[in-house]
Amino acid sequence: MPEASVLNLVLCLPLLGAGLLLVSPTGRDDLTRGITLGLMTLQLALTGWLYVRFDSAVAGLQFETRLPWIATWGVHYQIGLDGYNILLVMLTAFLGPLVTASAFSAITKDVKLFYAMVLLIQFAMMGAFLAQDLFLFYVFWETMLIPMFLMIGIWGGERRIYATLKFFLYTAFGSILMLAAVIYLVWSLQTTTGVVSFAFADLVKARLPLGVQGWLLAAFALSFAIKVPMVPLHTWLPDAHVQAPTAGSVILAGVLLKMGTYGFMKLGFPLFPDATALFTPWLMTLAVVSIVYGACLALVQDDIKKIIAYSSISHLGYVMLGLLSLELVGIQGAVIQMVSHGLVAAGLFLMVGMIYERCHTRELAAYGGLARLLPVYSVFFMILTLASVGLPTTSGFTGEFLVLLGAFKAAWPPHALGLNHLPLVLAVVAVAGVVLGALYMLRFALGFLYGATKAPHQPLSDLNGREKTILGLIVVAVFALGLFPDGPLRKTELAAKAYKQLVSTSRLPGASP
Amino acid sequence: MSWRDILLAMLPEHLLLLGIVLLILLDIAGLARRGSGQIPSWVALATVAAAVWAAAQLSLGAYAAAPFAGHFSVEPATLLAKALVLALALPVLLMSRGDFDGVEFPVLLLSSLYGVGLMLSADSFLTLFLGLEIMSLPVYVLVLLAYRRPQSAEAALKYLVLGGTSTAMFMMGVSLLYGGSGAMDIAVFTRALGSADSMARAGVVLVVLGFFLKAAIVPFHAWAPDAYEGASVPVTAYMAVVVKAAVLLAAVRVFGQVQLASPMLELVAVLPLASIVWGNLAAMRQASLRRMIAYSSIAHAGYLFYALLGAPEGRMQAVTFYLLAYGALNLLVFAALPPAADDQERDRLDHLQGLFHRSPFAALMIGMAMLSLAGIPPFPGFIAKFLVFKNVIAAGHTTYAVLGLLGSYLGIYFYLRVIQFMFMSDAAPTAAAAPLRRHAVAASLACVALTVVVAVFPGWVISQL
Repeated sequence: MPEASVLNLVLCLPLLGAGLLLVSPTGRDDLTRGITLGLMTLQLALTGWLYVRFDSAVAGLQFETRLPWIATWGVHYQIGLDGYNILLVMLTAFLGPLVTASAFSAITKDVKLFYAMVLLIQFAMMGAFLAQDLFLFYVFWETMLIPMFLMIGIWGGERRIYATLKFFLYTAFGSILMLAAVIYLVWSLQTTTGVVSFAFADLVKARLPLGVQGWLLAAFALSFAIKVPMVPLHTWLPDAHVQAPTAGSVILAGVLLKMGTYGFMKLGFPLFPDATALFTPWLMTLAVVSIVYGACLALVQDDIKKIIAYSSISHLGYVMLGLLSLELVGIQGAVIQMVSHGLVAAGLFLMVGMIYERCHTRELAAYGGLARLLPVYSVFFMILTLASVGLPTTSGFTGEFLVLLGAFKAAWPPHALGLNHLPLVLAVVAVAGVVLGALYMLRFALGFLYGATKAPHQPLSDLNGREKTILGLIVVAVFALGLFPDGPLRKTELAAKAYKQLVSTSRLPGASP
Repeated sequence: MSWRDILLAMLPEHLLLLGIVLLILLDIAGLARRGSGQIPSWVALATVAAAVWAAAQLSLGAYAAAPFAGHFSVEPATLLAKALVLALALPVLLMSRGDFDGVEFPVLLLSSLYGVGLMLSADSFLTLFLGLEIMSLPVYVLVLLAYRRPQSAEAALKYLVLGGTSTAMFMMGVSLLYGGSGAMDIAVFTRALGSADSMARAGVVLVVLGFFLKAAIVPFHAWAPDAYEGASVPVTAYMAVVVKAAVLLAAVRVFGQVQLASPMLELVAVLPLASIVWGNLAAMRQASLRRMIAYSSIAHAGYLFYALLGAPEGRMQAVTFYLLAYGALNLLVFAALPPAADDQERDRLDHLQGLFHRSPFAALMIGMAMLSLAGIPPFPGFIAKFLVFKNVIAAGHTTYAVLGLLGSYLGIYFYLRVIQFMFMSDAAPTAAAAPLRRHAVAASLACVALTVVVAVFPGWVISQL
């Protein structure tokens, strides 16, 4: 089947690229950039082809490859596309060339190493989304940290060492407990059913006692929640974002954070449905706290990168809320919201990077009236701001609206029956979060684009062709997802149904909110 | 017992002996004097390579024999482990070129390896003791060989005294076991493990502590940082990799096919756990690379002894695989270490600052080794750790496994710090770009090749063990 080979190629292209850079001549920076951009574009093209070929009427895996890797343990190299990962794979491939191109002028030190790192991160992220085997997933999940660690540490801002160590140690702490849970889970599957396997499809069938499920979900959830990040495990994010080079921030916000929510959707909740039912009120509360707390923090930041960093925490709270609503619209909204946030946050970080390259400061107070100085920049900025706020016709609206719809749909019956009022309260607070979102983004845009004209560095040149292309592509994607969400929704519909069924069939009586 | 068996079963040992004799003859004939080229080094390399080849061939041929029944026997698994441990000595020999002239270093190393061979095949405590001593005695001298530095003498003496203590404890334990059972074969130990007799138990505890001392397990670890720091780089590499590997494999052999139960279980779990935690914590504060590696190896000895908690069938596999990954990566660090004006400077961690800009190859190699030792995927150290903890959890000791994993988390920081020095700092003011030595590069490439094989085809490697 050619699709399966193409999927393998999509995964391995960045790795091949990193190998190519290793042997390519040093000092030829343009060659390095060209190779990376070429490979990333090829990857995007191939992924696009697969996206079109992806049959939304087929449930489960498509274009699957399954080869034994550590046969005696039941570990396989198993990758494939399904409704869970198709949009995220597409997002990853889409951002690849944009990240590459965005760093052309910003990175002039150790260019070869930098692009090798970009390619390795791309490889690991693709791998983590595509993996259908828990061992493989874990390997990719952890591998991701290494290039990111180097990227922040080598090309970051003045407190980069602190930020990158914090990033690594935070995420590694979650992973180490997840590792224990992974081993325990597989071993339990082996003792209860006799099946020795790391395949997601087999692991879902293991029905462990509630107590065990609780511990295992706690371990998985800790790891995923750090990555999302959910309050109160979010403190690494602002540091990492602020210190990272633009490309690093874009990768972090665009794709890496989605690993956490994807992990919950693909693994955490379906593997431990009973424990999920038990934890749902707590997780939902944390999700809503993240929405509101993230928004409040974004409201008071002076550093423009920090505003977007905290807004990420807020926006990913919606994803968690949607996933936990267990309503089809909510789940699909969560997936759309993941992609939408990936596009919008990536775009905003790129724009911050562009202004930083020109003015070398991220102080919000240092800017004002940019609409007069940089008209093209300001148009793009305003569009992305409104997408972040969730204005209709943009992708942000589709995601947030569906999530909130799902949350209310799930919250109403228990409220009407007088059983449980918590979900309704949470849903109402989450709506208030939307208002807060508008508040902090508009405050940002207002101070940034309007008011007295000031910029720390004049004269400013407006966007060049490369920057316009990058932002143009993102804006097109934002509108496409906002105006025509049908196609993506159809691709993910069966997976959302499967997820709903896996998680909700086994709800504990009485524990359901 | 036939002559054929004696010849074949001990072929690797015979070859090593032959090499030793040859080297001494060369020295007498005046061909190994200083300045006469690298003849002794080549002879030693060829000898070890031949011994590795012999052990591997015998193992592949599924050869099993007991030329001295009850004292010395070989099976395919033992022979394979022997081949691996001996093979780990090859990079040590390669990287020692230029550090040592003359015949002393190769002769001592080969003698020590002869002891390793005996240990791995020992069926009785007599042979085991003989092997342990033949392995250790040359190492005391090897530490002293770098007496250009005053610390070397101190380190060697400390190592000697504590090594003697270890031997004494070991012998005391063996004599208690012998007193209780009247036998010297290692099966006595497994029987005593489950016995409630206090003398047998005391014997077991002493023997285990003897192993712990040799492998540098907390609280018997204090010699390791000093000895590692005092010795020159190849000797440190030898101690950290080959000696440790031999001790662990001998321990696995002695523990035999018995599932550990309380109270011996606690003995074998708690002290290694303390090692993992303390080794990783103490490593954070080191300014000397070799001291850091010493503490790291104390932690790794903890993981290795953890493997004994697992089911007996999986122990050999887990320990061998772990040693393979750990050995290859540890050797890689030492082989890739850039040369410096003097040994002391070479040892300082800040000497590594900005290494990536001076010597990208060395920085990438050391960085890879650090990540692997930290147990971060996709490097082989992760799979090795996974295998060990999988066995521990499968044996039902989940609490110990979780504690051990948390202990391993403590170790991540200091490995990352080395990477931070190499990639994220500006060059140390004193450091100058130094040309790579050809043999060191060959040694590191050999280790990298091994690492890649283990990382990409772990399934194949595990199924071979």
